[in-house]
Amino acid sequence: MNSPKPSAQVSKRDDVYAQRSVTRIWQELPAEDNAYIAAQSRCHGYDLMALLQQRSFVDVLYLLFRGELPEPEEAALLETLMVAFINPGPRHPATRAAMNAGIGKTDPALILPIALTTLSGKYNAAGSLEECMRFLRKQQRKPAQVTARQLLEKLERPAEGDCHIAAGFGSVYNGIDLMSKQIAEHLVQMPGAGTALKWGQDFAQTLTKEGMGWLATGVVAAVLTDLGFQPRTAAGIYQIISAPGLFAHGVEMANKPMTAMPFIDDENYSIEYD
Amino acid sequence: MRITALNTINNTDYWDQRRGKIISSKGGWKIGQGVFSHGYSMMDDFVGKTSYMQVVMLNATGRLPERNLADWLDAIFICLSWPDPRIWCNQIGALAGTTQTSVMAATCAGTLATDARAYGVRPLLDGLAFIQKAFQEFEAGTSVEEIVLSGNRVRKGKPEIMGYARPIAKGDERIPAMECVTKQLGFSIGKHLSLAYSIDEYLTCHYDEGMNINGYMSGFLSDQGITPEESYRIFSSLVASGVTACYVDTRDKIPNSFLPLRCDDIVYEGKSVRAVPEN
Repeated sequence: MNSPKPSAQVSKRDDVYAQRSVTRIWQELPAEDNAYIAAQSRCHGYDLMALLQQRSFVDVLYLLFRGELPEPEEAALLETLMVAFINPGPRHPATRAAMNAGIGKTDPALILPIALTTLSGKYNAAGSLEECMRFLRKQQRKPAQVTARQLLEKLERPAEGDCHIAAGFGSVYNGIDLMSKQIAEHLVQMPGAGTALKWGQDFAQTLTKEGMGWLATGVVAAVLTDLGFQPRTAAGIYQIISAPGLFAHGVEMANKPMTAMPFIDDENYSIEYD
Repeated sequence: MRITALNTINNTDYWDQRRGKIISSKGGWKIGQGVFSHGYSMMDDFVGKTSYMQVVMLNATGRLPERNLADWLDAIFICLSWPDPRIWCNQIGALAGTTQTSVMAATCAGTLATDARAYGVRPLLDGLAFIQKAFQEFEAGTSVEEIVLSGNRVRKGKPEIMGYARPIAKGDERIPAMECVTKQLGFSIGKHLSLAYSIDEYLTCHYDEGMNINGYMSGFLSDQGITPEESYRIFSSLVASGVTACYVDTRDKIPNSFLPLRCDDIVYEGKSVRAVPEN
């Protein structure tokens, strides 16, 4: 197996790897008599025991990612967002993945990973959030109507399926997503609403006559932008927000027989090779 | 050109036609008739007659390869998955084992980790795309030097090209192993792989960096007419076996004993202790 080619000669690089991992998020202080046991935990400097007595889940979620506790209007905006999008609904592919796992008696501990993996997709799912946040951060510097006009001028609506004019905005089943529209209209009036939500609202209204508007991913991305979250965190935050609904639908199926969900019969299963 | 048709608004015909129906382009189980894949009867045409890797490539690409290409894929799967828990995806398997996760969850989790930019399966997209674009340029008269120096990011004074250089080590022992397999299976060095060797030679001569297994695979697979996306699909479970091995290693030991960490084994560099403000 000796080869004269240079690429076959293997030698270790002199890269220096860290001896210990570093975090700016969480500090665990060891017990005096056992260095493996944490006697105190702190999140960005705040004692966990104080946080759990004085702050809400949403406050600490914000703290984890932003490094500071939220102002009351920021916490209210995030909490409202989390209620609004707590469940993608039983028709979303990620929820249906959870339900398939549940009905098949998949280990309940794996229902959520299965659903969240499906939710990682780029279409109406977490995988589009980062792009959507970057779109909002860039476009909010100019009037929404200008952006809409520019995008509509070069828009080529697909012959079949929905049209997404930008990440987080488009049609659902050739119509406007009315739930996302209502939620956005509520959020944009909250004291914590910022430029991205307001810009997105203008943009969505401009698209109405085209049969397009906010998508759920767009609304979440706008709020996260206004709250100062980094685009790279957005997919995971979206998954956290959606997780309760996904799991609830999955585990609801776990006690039902496999016949409790449709199994497409042969008459409705056709094979059409290209 | 804008082809927006306003009469499409709230027109749901497309979805109505698909409600309660599955239209597969791949195949399926016709109960009482057989199981079909791309026009083949899986029980009659495949079982005991083709290799598993032939069917893997068929399902990923729609094309049933010759046995020798499937055997080449079989060999490269061995090259790309080792039982070393220091490798990132494998360490996920080991951590899952020490947490007593199921073997399936562990193997899926580790495999999923290789959908990564830094290593694993996803870089094949860039590896094949690079050599196929480079080959087009080479055919149009661009020199190897120009291919290396133009359009590629430079890191630490060296061109950064997917398929060349690798983390942790220089050189790649998998290439000579696969060169033997390639020859044994009757493949010759095609135009893409030949160009990959030329790039390897240039980088070695000028930058002391050479081709890695991604570069070799990308050249070879391109010569077989495989697209970047097809390679991504064929190799989606590439590292599974090594992850399973690392899982088994820790699953069969005392729980929570793999690379245990004391509190001070994690360095905290965040905010100093502070009081929670009144809400």
